[in-house]
Amino acid sequence: MISSTTMAKRAAPALACIGLLAVWQVASLVLKSDSFPTAIEAIRAIPDILGDRESLINILASLRRMAIGFSIAVLVSMPLGLLMGRSRAVAAFFNPLLMVIYPVPKAALMPIIMLWLGVGDITKTLVIFLGVSLPVIYHSFEGAKAVEEKMLWSGAAMGLSPLQRLVRIVLPAALPEILTGCRTGLVLALITMITSEMIARQSGAGNILFNALDMGQYDTVYAMIIIVGAMGICLDAVFERVRARLVRWSEPQFDLPLSFS
Amino acid sequence: MMSRFLSTNILLGVAPIVLVIALWQGLVSFGVAPAVLLPPPGLVFGRLVQQLETWTFQQEIAATVVRLFAGFAIAVVLGVSIGIAAAASPAMNALVRPIVRVLAPLPKVALYPALLLLLGFGHGSKITLVTADALFPILLSTYYGASTVEQKLIWSAMAAGTPRYEILFKVVLPAAMPAILTGCRIGLVISCIVVFLAEMITSTDGLGHALVTAARTFQAVDMFVPLITISLLGLILNALLGAVRSYLLRGFPEA
Amino acid sequence: MKVVPSRLSEWVRPVTLQQPACAIIEIERVSQVFQTSARKDHLALSDISLTIDEGAFVSILGPSGCGKSTLLYIVGGFVNPSSGAAKMKGQAITGPGPDRGPVFQEFALFPWKTVLGNVMYGPRQQGVRTNEAEAQSRALIEMVGLKGYENFYPKELSGGMKQRVALARTLAYHPEVLLMDEPFGALDAHTRTRLQNDLLNIWERDRKTVLFVTHSVDEAVFLSDKVVMMSKSPGRIRQVIDIDLPRPRRRNELLLDPRYQKYVVDIERMFDESDEAGSPS
Repeated sequence: MISSTTMAKRAAPALACIGLLAVWQVASLVLKSDSFPTAIEAIRAIPDILGDRESLINILASLRRMAIGFSIAVLVSMPLGLLMGRSRAVAAFFNPLLMVIYPVPKAALMPIIMLWLGVGDITKTLVIFLGVSLPVIYHSFEGAKAVEEKMLWSGAAMGLSPLQRLVRIVLPAALPEILTGCRTGLVLALITMITSEMIARQSGAGNILFNALDMGQYDTVYAMIIIVGAMGICLDAVFERVRARLVRWSEPQFDLPLSFS
Repeated sequence: MMSRFLSTNILLGVAPIVLVIALWQGLVSFGVAPAVLLPPPGLVFGRLVQQLETWTFQQEIAATVVRLFAGFAIAVVLGVSIGIAAAASPAMNALVRPIVRVLAPLPKVALYPALLLLLGFGHGSKITLVTADALFPILLSTYYGASTVEQKLIWSAMAAGTPRYEILFKVVLPAAMPAILTGCRIGLVISCIVVFLAEMITSTDGLGHALVTAARTFQAVDMFVPLITISLLGLILNALLGAVRSYLLRGFPEA
Repeated sequence: MKVVPSRLSEWVRPVTLQQPACAIIEIERVSQVFQTSARKDHLALSDISLTIDEGAFVSILGPSGCGKSTLLYIVGGFVNPSSGAAKMKGQAITGPGPDRGPVFQEFALFPWKTVLGNVMYGPRQQGVRTNEAEAQSRALIEMVGLKGYENFYPKELSGGMKQRVALARTLAYHPEVLLMDEPFGALDAHTRTRLQNDLLNIWERDRKTVLFVTHSVDEAVFLSDKVVMMSKSPGRIRQVIDIDLPRPRRRNELLLDPRYQKYVVDIERMFDESDEAGSPS
């Protein structure tokens, strides 16, 4: 049996969604602007987009690139971050470089990479890879740095080699923090994907958005916003489920995802 | 001992940056990459210095900085006040929590077309986008910091005769300051990134626009210049915030 | 550490001794229930009644989890009892107030304020003008032996020094009752002894009412006029023991005093017996 308070807690995000849509509906009715359709009009346009074969292929292609870019980024960044967290020298080597790269908008590299590699999948995947890497490196680094020294001593006393210690002690101990980084990275992957498509204007979800904007199909613009927003919220919710399962043993995590472009 | 240790660290840290530049130069010098696509570093940095002196480029920087600061400042004010309110009042908490849960993972840049339609192509839409993106990390850290304030600090202040409403400003806000500033640091970098992207997607001025203009005419050198400028801008602002941080948190351990 | 007696009277309102043994705090049938999980309640305090006389040094002694700190928080007005009431000078306690000054085990100093800033906080909050508050606070800091540390931040001080600042910060707003929540619990043995001596020195000059929570039998006997022994689950008063030892107490004399030793041994035996006879939980 679920108590009424937990019910209310579970329903709260859904209620918030409905509330936000209601605010939108009222605002658009009040403003009565051509460029601001009502929420209902926008929702009605969603089946048209998802029913259109070409748009659907476009969106699915975007998602595939995102998945590939995200996976490669995690596979490369996580070991690097862990090594940085356990070795002062490695950290001192990479930290300043990462600090310089940090404020560079990764999606802004799109035009330059396009210049080199063309507008194909490689370019777009590479940009997503770059966007995801930094938070994953950063969180793995912080997680590995915080691993208790005495735990490693115990491991060394049991005869574990440095590599074994990294895989069997540092990795699981830093896992909650790493997964926080992955969660940020996942939302970032989506954002980088959309942004780079908006900038390159070749194909994908971001392109559909701006094409509709250029052609004055405002319903489609807002419908796409809802689709992209829903993708973000769903990806985050699914990942949060996975994360909670993987690190059941750790303290309940407080933070909500920190997403940014 | 300490200084030697530090200088080794600095050497180690400078090494990869030097390596990247050397590799970059090498690629050009050995003809692996044609100079049209990858201009040599000397040319890019020369161009940067030259550009920084011109009035038009300064105008671009100014436009970007104005949007960045305006968006960031609004995000700080909103984020800190909503975060504290959510931590202090159960009613606010019940209202804010689900909304934040929905809006935080939403890719804000997807809202940009709507902002363009509603607020036009000028400063308004870009500042709003910067605020929307920088708001959540600041709000969440503030909320976290404010809701984990040591209970006994509050009790000590109340016993000394502080009225409840003053506790918020005299205890909760200063005690949450480390968390707030961590949020601001993330928010600032996000602001840098977002303002640049917004200008790239559609704008008539600003650093992002400078990059797009250069890309349209395949001026590789001019594409690098705004990128390096925004990176430098980010580093300078980060250092400034670091200075503010170490001043404000001078009493806190591990600051 | 030297304490300046002439200075002390300025900080501490002299206690009127016309009516000896006049109750200042009355705890009447207080119970406290905490909800530990969805359907489980934990009875932290069960039907506690206790009267504390003005100017008395009373220790509440008991094992961890017996609710002794909760009882102190109820007197402080930080926690509302589930039933019953606590009164200060006949008035029901409804919230914290400057008449009851807490000193916590965790020090709870404001990390963003200097030593001087921390001590000045109370007087400033009471509306004392800045110059005056500063002069008073500087003298108090000197009294607790921290002259020269006025502009240090708490993070730069040792645990013992932090607790001295916390005591000065509380004394600065002239509370009538000091509520001390295991104040020396986080300190090493040596610092602890020194602070106990200093606290006694300060107290024996002005006889402010002190409610002192501790789990150390020696500490309770050494400092108090009265020891309230509590047992746990549920938290109850087991026994109240008057400590009839001469004052001023000097540690080196007292430790050799058979009466002191007997109090300590008797109290420890009573706790041991209750452990053996206690419920299996």
